[in-house]
Amino acid sequence: MSIASNASAGAPRIHLSQDMQQIIYRLLAAGLLCLALSLATDAFLTSNNILNVLRQASLLFFLASGLTLVILTGGLDLSVGANIGLSACLAATVIKATGSPILGTLTGLATGCVIGICNGLMVAKLRIPSFIATYGMLWVLHGITYYYMAGETIHGFPPGFRQIGSGHFLGIPIPVYLMVGFLVAGTVFAQRTVWGQQIYAIGANPVAARLTGIPIDRRLILVYAFSGAMAGVASIVFLARLNSAEGDIGEALTLPAIAAVLIGGASLFGGVGSVFGTFIGALILTLVLNGMNLLSVNANWQPLVTGVIVIFAVWLDMYGRRKA
Amino acid sequence: MRAVMDTTALIEPAPPPAPDRAPLLELRGISKNFPGVKALDDVSFGVWPGEVHMLLGENGAGKSSLMKVLCGAYQADAGDYFHNGEKIEIRSPADARRFGIAVIFQEFSLVPYLDVAQNIFLGREFASAIPGIMDRRRLYREAQAVLDLIGLDVDPRTKVHSLGVAQQQMVEIGKALSQDARILVMDEPTAALSDRETERLFEVMRQLQAKGVAIVYISHRMAEVFALGDRITVLRDGKLVGSALPGETSPDELVRMMVGRNVDMSYPRRFSTAPGELVLDVRNVCAANGIRDISLTVRSGEIVGLCGLVGSGRTEVARAIFGADEVTAGEVHLFGKSHSGGPAATTRAGVGLIPESRKSEGLALIRTVSDNLAVAGLPKLFPNMMFSRGKARRSAEELIKRLRIATPSPNQNVALLSGGNQQKVVIGKWLAAGTRLFIFDEPTRGIDVGAKSEIFALIDQLVAEGAAVLMISSEQAEIVHVCDRAYVMRGKRIVGELSRAELSEENIVRMGMHDD
Amino acid sequence: MTDHALSPSRPLRLPSVPGVAISLVGLVLLFAFSSPGFLSTGNLSNILVQSVILLLIALPMTLIIMTEGLDLSMGAVLTLASLVLALIIVSTQSLILGLLGALAVGLAFGFVNGSLVAVLGIPPFVATLGTLGAAQGLALIVSDGQSVVGIPRFVRQAYSGTVAGIPTPILIGIGFYALFHVLLYYTRFGTYIRALGGNRDALTLAGVRWRPILIAVYMLGGSMAGVAALLMTARMNAGHPTAAIGMEFDAIAAVALGGTSFEKGNGWIFGTLLGVLTVGVLRNGLNLMAIPSSVQVACIGALVIFALFIDGMRSHKS
Repeated sequence: MSIASNASAGAPRIHLSQDMQQIIYRLLAAGLLCLALSLATDAFLTSNNILNVLRQASLLFFLASGLTLVILTGGLDLSVGANIGLSACLAATVIKATGSPILGTLTGLATGCVIGICNGLMVAKLRIPSFIATYGMLWVLHGITYYYMAGETIHGFPPGFRQIGSGHFLGIPIPVYLMVGFLVAGTVFAQRTVWGQQIYAIGANPVAARLTGIPIDRRLILVYAFSGAMAGVASIVFLARLNSAEGDIGEALTLPAIAAVLIGGASLFGGVGSVFGTFIGALILTLVLNGMNLLSVNANWQPLVTGVIVIFAVWLDMYGRRKA
Repeated sequence: MRAVMDTTALIEPAPPPAPDRAPLLELRGISKNFPGVKALDDVSFGVWPGEVHMLLGENGAGKSSLMKVLCGAYQADAGDYFHNGEKIEIRSPADARRFGIAVIFQEFSLVPYLDVAQNIFLGREFASAIPGIMDRRRLYREAQAVLDLIGLDVDPRTKVHSLGVAQQQMVEIGKALSQDARILVMDEPTAALSDRETERLFEVMRQLQAKGVAIVYISHRMAEVFALGDRITVLRDGKLVGSALPGETSPDELVRMMVGRNVDMSYPRRFSTAPGELVLDVRNVCAANGIRDISLTVRSGEIVGLCGLVGSGRTEVARAIFGADEVTAGEVHLFGKSHSGGPAATTRAGVGLIPESRKSEGLALIRTVSDNLAVAGLPKLFPNMMFSRGKARRSAEELIKRLRIATPSPNQNVALLSGGNQQKVVIGKWLAAGTRLFIFDEPTRGIDVGAKSEIFALIDQLVAEGAAVLMISSEQAEIVHVCDRAYVMRGKRIVGELSRAELSEENIVRMGMHDD
Repeated sequence: MTDHALSPSRPLRLPSVPGVAISLVGLVLLFAFSSPGFLSTGNLSNILVQSVILLLIALPMTLIIMTEGLDLSMGAVLTLASLVLALIIVSTQSLILGLLGALAVGLAFGFVNGSLVAVLGIPPFVATLGTLGAAQGLALIVSDGQSVVGIPRFVRQAYSGTVAGIPTPILIGIGFYALFHVLLYYTRFGTYIRALGGNRDALTLAGVRWRPILIAVYMLGGSMAGVAALLMTARMNAGHPTAAIGMEFDAIAAVALGGTSFEKGNGWIFGTLLGVLTVGVLRNGLNLMAIPSSVQVACIGALVIFALFIDGMRSHKS
């Protein structure tokens, strides 16, 4: 959980908790990846490319940080990508109609959040397994978005709004600041609040958590709502960056988001993982995809590589458990 | 040879085995290690045809490991198997089957959506004339024969999930018998059975004995051990402590062998003469889990027992009071106020449940002792909702000291503690939450005898400090020794209340088992 | 545990509420009134023909779900298989080689899925989500994102031909339904599938090696995706890199509607047939009402969630 000194008086040796070890391994992996890429291509270690990696990682991180909390409870949210689609399209419509980026942003966040609450209600109240409930939601959202957009594209937003996605402050992209903000907020929420602790407890053993008096339904709805809201955040940044909204926006992001969480050390079985781990996971995945790009690998290989990474990450988790 | 001769025996018991005859199955020097645990340590043990060999030991003594080694589910790290004096290898359940070993597990090995016949013959389906197709007619015919043998009156086409626990146990027994087993291993087969079914099972066992089948029988019930056993073997901490013939030993001696020391059966308890105010008042409660018209009261400073057979509805009462199962009629009053709501509301009102299965319902096994101790008391420890790891650890360290939990550190993974210490962690988490009414469901299940006394001392201390306790136990001796009063349940209802003066194992049994 | 459960009772032969039958009849009545053309022989036959591809993957999906599994990769594998089939047929003019290629793709993915689930113990929905990405990527790679055209005319016969006046796809559908029915109820394999979902330990203790069986179930799913790829390619007269993306969802919907539970190996293959027809009728009827495909997907999504809710209620009660 954190660096913990051994309690027994005879051995004052500092030992690292398992979670900390996991994070250090992942940081090492990210470092090695950077080293390998900078040796393989000159294009990697340029400030432009580094900032580009960070900006791409930030988009993934928004989605993945919300998903982390869902996975911590032992659930899964497969609807996050489709959620981005609908949230972005509705936000775009509102911006176009009212000319107000603020109203548009609020619309995007609210849409994401409402979708998340629906997921949470299905999981907590109807007791539908999360992966299947959110999978159904994926197709419902997909259908609504495609019907709503009818193949159209909405583009051309006010420059002020576009700053959210493509602006810089002190030479660093705005989304990176947002990423750091959500990283700190997410970590504080998960590690330093009672609700965060209860979320870990629910994932570790939902039956025991319920019999310990934790209001499981409310916490689950909160977690899915948060995941939906983060998809809303991602949709706004995405929209601002692309300067256009289409029905299939975000569709290809679900698998990478899940991959980032799993690479970050979260367990699909719940109770294990951290927002910071997911941050590193998002970095690693972005580095891999960026490296493939720099080495001129056809982009068609990306889903395949992501798929293999997901499976590998889960296998690593299972292998670690079996050994323990 | 038998300490208790059963007059209903239809068949004379098999003669005790001649010492010079080779056992039907013999294990020599079996060892099995798990990371950090020696589950079996150089165990040697044999069964002769026609004998019932009782296997005794506390939980964790190695009985189930031995069974799993016997049936090929585990492979021993060291040791040899002999069948009729010949050395054999058992590497898989299929190997074990070949040598006629069949096991009746306590956890059911039945498939819910297959029918009785398919379950009985799982893995041994009959081939028909058409390649790849099963002979279903023969399947049901043979299954009916098995059901007739064990006297179970159900249609072999019934899906197993729609049977009751006792019927499922009988199907399990039928499954083992149908394998034409020469060696039958049973793990507490009577735990879920009614008297009539138990009697029927014993009758079948006697018939099998007469046919020369060797039976290994694990039991916790002393009466069964002496009524059925031809030979008794005791395990402790993975080691074989000794074997005895029933005529040459006594229950006391067996308990001493199991525990390794004399156990004082009277748990420490300071009875108070004046119970305090009314804490729990349950009035005519019915619940969705099946309990009917339950009324009971618990006062502060009082331990109230809730006893009856397994399945009589005790756990259901606890769950209904705690709000884990829905109350459909009646009222629950807590600390003088009418109460309704789920576990979260009940916990806030000051009630804590120490559930029967500690590992699956009481603890988060992947988390630390400190995390588990804090989890119920989070809102109380951190009223501003901000969590502090240091404060949680200090609170955990206090509880570890107070409850004398044996753990190297609060950051130890709770899964690595012994059963008794895990139980203390479950109790501790409620202490951190400021609980004033404790509901214990089988508080000493799976806990060694030394830790049991400690748990009871702790419960005694709780009530001395003004807490109220409702305690469910299958061990009547515990109820009699510890409780101020007790309610007896049968068929999902409370059938009587026994005062301290009336409390005796005899009275509990008479009330709880009366067959109607 | 209740007293009621202790008393011997005869089993119910059918799931207590055959909701799928009710919804099928309800939808048929609804569309019969709303769209005059719906009840014409031509349209009804059309529904059956169009349902066959879905049936071919819903049948193995039923068995996979009965093992407490799931195969999210099936649509993507079907797409990849149809591309491989089209590419082989275009270059060799051989239907047999093309079909063998499609089957090989399906079996390979089935083997990988099955191994990930059975050997490595990875939860099925994640394992197959990963292979979904892999199959989708491969589909893009082999086709380079383009449709494969120039399929010879004889391939079309597989979809549009008739035998004794009955369209070939319907006969194929009936044949495979019969095969799966026998497989589930009359063979050891079918018995073990229920046991895989209901109680894996029971199989181990019975001396049955369950891992190969579980792998075989996923391989069966993959090979059926290969068969469906033939019909799909014949129907579209081309291979398209996003042809069947998401079709696994229709299959899962049909299985869930059909009353097969995601838990404990409680499944009903005839229910899947009814579920497939329900999805087919729904899509056809909405088409006749000129409701776009995207809304149809949303309707099916809502239906699945509803079906699962009912499933949950039912298991909650017992």
